[in-house]
Amino acid sequence: MKEMKKLSVMAYVSIGMLSSIAYLLMLLNFPLPLFPNFLFVDFSDIPALLAALIFGPVAGVLVEFLKNLLNYFATGSPTGVPVGHIANFLAGIVFVLPTYFVYNKLKSKKGMTIALITGSITMAIVMSILNYAFILPAYTVLMGFPDMRNLVVPAILPFNILKGVMMSLIFMLLFVRMQTWITKFSTVKNA
Amino acid sequence: MMEKMIFGRYVPADSTVHKMDPRSKLLIIFLFVCIIFLANNWITYALIGVYTFYMLGMSRIPVRFLYGGLKPVLWLVLFTLILQLLFTKEGNLLVEWGPIKIYEEGVRQGVFISLRFFFLILMTSLLTLTTSPIEITDGLETLLNPLKKIHFPVHEMALMMSISLRFIPTLMQETDKIMKAQMARGVEFSSGPFKERIKAVIPLLIPLFVSSFKRAEELAVAMEARGYRGGEGRTKYRQLSWKAADTLQLVVLAILTILLFLLRA
Repeated sequence: MKEMKKLSVMAYVSIGMLSSIAYLLMLLNFPLPLFPNFLFVDFSDIPALLAALIFGPVAGVLVEFLKNLLNYFATGSPTGVPVGHIANFLAGIVFVLPTYFVYNKLKSKKGMTIALITGSITMAIVMSILNYAFILPAYTVLMGFPDMRNLVVPAILPFNILKGVMMSLIFMLLFVRMQTWITKFSTVKNA
Repeated sequence: MMEKMIFGRYVPADSTVHKMDPRSKLLIIFLFVCIIFLANNWITYALIGVYTFYMLGMSRIPVRFLYGGLKPVLWLVLFTLILQLLFTKEGNLLVEWGPIKIYEEGVRQGVFISLRFFFLILMTSLLTLTTSPIEITDGLETLLNPLKKIHFPVHEMALMMSISLRFIPTLMQETDKIMKAQMARGVEFSSGPFKERIKAVIPLLIPLFVSSFKRAEELAVAMEARGYRGGEGRTKYRQLSWKAADTLQLVVLAILTILLFLLRA
């Protein structure tokens, strides 16, 4: 939280804007063919990743948080406790943070590819574990669904890998076009 | 498509609920989400239902707006109901139809869970329908103020949230404009193979990011030029005022909680 105090007004405003974009992208979600249709893909982690690259990891976490907070207020949650939003928030963080830290060490186009692969793998593994341990049991308790933990290996894991690959591809396409722009912005971030 | 993305389904009206302080409404919703889990038999669910409709009636929100909030979850409710009917195998057997067996407990569980969904969605809709996004942000900021003691940046969070809320409609228009500009160049967003459609997102996202950063820069400069220096000693244009009606509604909720504790199985 100390890091927060150091963020500039420009950072606060940009995080706000990126959260709006993330919120809009979150609404444009779609299910993947062949997967159970409570698993949705959206590209709302891309603004969060951009925020992390430009303003640091805290900014990435903030975009993920605000996006889910806005979505919760806009749509509500039938579970009361927003399990889906918490899951989305965690998935975003475990994708954005590893990607950011690996890229920060390597700082090149190739480094970004490795970073995105790391991020996708971390997300797939951590989300599988979290789904098994907390998220799916929470749905069983709150919504009276039957025990769905046997879905982790056939559905959750491949779904998250696919989601990671799709996001990585899109981000890579964005990154090659915006790299100079991103570096320019991140050098003036605390001006 | 853009129509349904408008944030905040705030419907201005002159009602008791509209006039309530956003802090009390946030508290009531938060407590409601907690106490709804106390309900576990017909009487307690009926009580929760009476309370929900009492609040809805007081808010004078037309039914079609409430239906708008319920529509997206109708399928989920139906799905859960069917799941409960088919997979709960307790209590007396009610219907047997080939391999499908429906038990008493399944019906009970299914109805209870569906009711809980409906009440939760209706109450959260009530908050967003009667409170403007800016009021919600103000309310949250004031409610979370004690967290400043542990150095949680409450003011900064509220600032980012209000900026975000403010720019959702603007960025939506921007997206629409860019999409039309790209469509005029022959990009297809809604048809064509899956891969092509994914790729079409790129020429949409880049201008969106660039223009939003431009806006952010302008706004940041404007804020600093007007002497913005964080939350310390900042005065407010909109003052929140806690009225007797707010206390009254919290008392009503407290009575409901006590009744739930007494009547639950």
